[in-house]
Amino acid sequence: MALKRINKEMRELERDPPGQCSVGPIANDPFHCQATIIGPTGTPFEGGLFDLRIDFPDDYPFRPPKVWFTTKIFHPNISDRGSICLDILSQNWSPTLSISKVLLIICALLTDPNPDDPWRKDIAELYVNDREKYESTAREWTAQFATA
Amino acid sequence: MSDEEMEFSDDDYDDYYGGEYDGDVDHVDPQKNDPEYFHVACLTDTEVERLLNESVEQLSNSIQVTPSLAKLLLHMYNWNQIEIVAGYRQDCHKMLTSVHIKPATPPQQMTNNQQGESEATCPVCLAPMSPDYASHLTCGHTFCKDCWSMHFEVQIKQGMSTGIECMGNSCQVLAPEDFVVPLLKRPRLKEKYQQYAFSDYVRSHPQLRFCPGPNCNIVIQAKECRAKRVTCTACKSQFCYKCGGDYHAPTDCETIRCWLTKCADDSETANYISAHTKDVNIDSFQAVGPCKTVGEYEEIAYCPKCHICIEKNGGCNHMQCFNCKHDFCWMCLGCWKTHGSEYYECSRYKENPNIAHESAHAQAREALKKYLHYYERWENHSKSLKLEEETLAKIRERIQNKVMAGTGTWIDWQYLLDAAALLARCRYTLQNTYPFAYYLESGPRKDLFEYQQAQLEAEIENLSWKIERAEMTDRGDLENQMDIVEKRRTTLLTDFLQV
Repeated sequence: MALKRINKEMRELERDPPGQCSVGPIANDPFHCQATIIGPTGTPFEGGLFDLRIDFPDDYPFRPPKVWFTTKIFHPNISDRGSICLDILSQNWSPTLSISKVLLIICALLTDPNPDDPWRKDIAELYVNDREKYESTAREWTAQFATA
Repeated sequence: MSDEEMEFSDDDYDDYYGGEYDGDVDHVDPQKNDPEYFHVACLTDTEVERLLNESVEQLSNSIQVTPSLAKLLLHMYNWNQIEIVAGYRQDCHKMLTSVHIKPATPPQQMTNNQQGESEATCPVCLAPMSPDYASHLTCGHTFCKDCWSMHFEVQIKQGMSTGIECMGNSCQVLAPEDFVVPLLKRPRLKEKYQQYAFSDYVRSHPQLRFCPGPNCNIVIQAKECRAKRVTCTACKSQFCYKCGGDYHAPTDCETIRCWLTKCADDSETANYISAHTKDVNIDSFQAVGPCKTVGEYEEIAYCPKCHICIEKNGGCNHMQCFNCKHDFCWMCLGCWKTHGSEYYECSRYKENPNIAHESAHAQAREALKKYLHYYERWENHSKSLKLEEETLAKIRERIQNKVMAGTGTWIDWQYLLDAAALLARCRYTLQNTYPFAYYLESGPRKDLFEYQQAQLEAEIENLSWKIERAEMTDRGDLENQMDIVEKRRTTLLTDFLQV
């Protein structure tokens, strides 16, 4: 069941690729994928390419996939190690969500961080109190880690 | 409760003035005489099931809904039938949306599905589904039955049951029992679901509690949720009905929780300080007599008079030096004579009245000193309780020897075992008076409490002392002492047990 659904999603992604991201299996194993998100324009992440890993559980889509950044990113809801603080990836997961929807939601999170539910308090505080400093640091990180 | 009390007091009134009341016989009204009285029933799961089903049946008849829906409503409304019936009659749609049985917004996908007919695909497995193989909840999110089954299986494996929601994105509509169970394929899974749901129902029911005893399946039923002692009829474990922890009268649940957390957090500090403060005392006595180091053996002290090493081998805190026969208190090492009178000062902590004007450092030291005072006494009574368990074994042995030697019969000695049981009960209460006193604000109420605590403590130590030395001829004296101790305990609980 899980494999069928993942394959269908992959075919759908090939047929109608979303603008901001791409996904592909690692070493032909559909349960482990790599994705790339293009830093949304108008954000400090613009111009960067951010890599993510996606691991599907055996009972996908009844349990959420594990998704984390492998590129360092300066963001209140993303930890040092790339973990993403996002409700739909844990308790609010729905089997009707798909990997392309998840990636779109992550893109939206890059544009609009959620400082009320931060993974990194220091960045959240900076985001709220000193937006300029937040943006310049995030831009520096994007230039340093997310550009080839 | 108040109704019952009224009844009893009426009875008393009639008895008294009706002339039938016999003043010589104790008229036992457990609710009035015993502040710890608490009526509970220990139920097996079958009995609980019957009880729950009765409520379900009643509700489903009175508001004309399926038993499964009635069960979910009762669970969500903590089994308050009156509230449900009233709310349902007033606005059933509002009630069903509030507990996520109906969606907040009217369903939309239903129409999609009807239009699509045979072409419809399941949004989860993305495979086509025939209308007779699809199902949905009140929200109209339609999925194929295989996906529903898988969803339920995954949820149940995570321990979910009554809280399983629809698969739709951000849809919170709950799946009732009669929707879930028919879709479960394996009997083992059905069993698990029922088991988890049963636990959820018991937890949401205000009159029911699982017995916290290890591997015990008994459910305790009480009309009111009060912090009173419950003894499980099956596993014999004793606990507080309200919080499920060890019984803690006269301290309340919240206070005992603070106290236990504090003890756990501060245990290292407390141990360090007690160890180091005791060492100072010991150093000065080191030269006298053979001794073990106190760090290794906590139950060792030095006689304050002749400085010989004494091991505490009983629960009684009234110590007598085997060497010089000096009587002293184990807690404060002071002379016992000053403890014997009604003013037993050892249990009371004397706060520095000028503490507000002292430095922060001094205040911190004072706070620690105060905590240690109560903690040491709490700990000490806990140890005494353990030692008195050993004493009980010794009493049994002694009784056997006496009976074999022809001094009395088993029945003659029975009172000693009763005395030991009473001692344990009283010391347990005494132990729990220390957290209470620690958090009690200074004032007349605290003075009264500490006065009663001191009296109880003095009488308990007397009883313990007498039990350890009881002979056949002491029976009257001991029974008298038992009566005094229990009265002191009851007085303290009557005045301070607020549950």
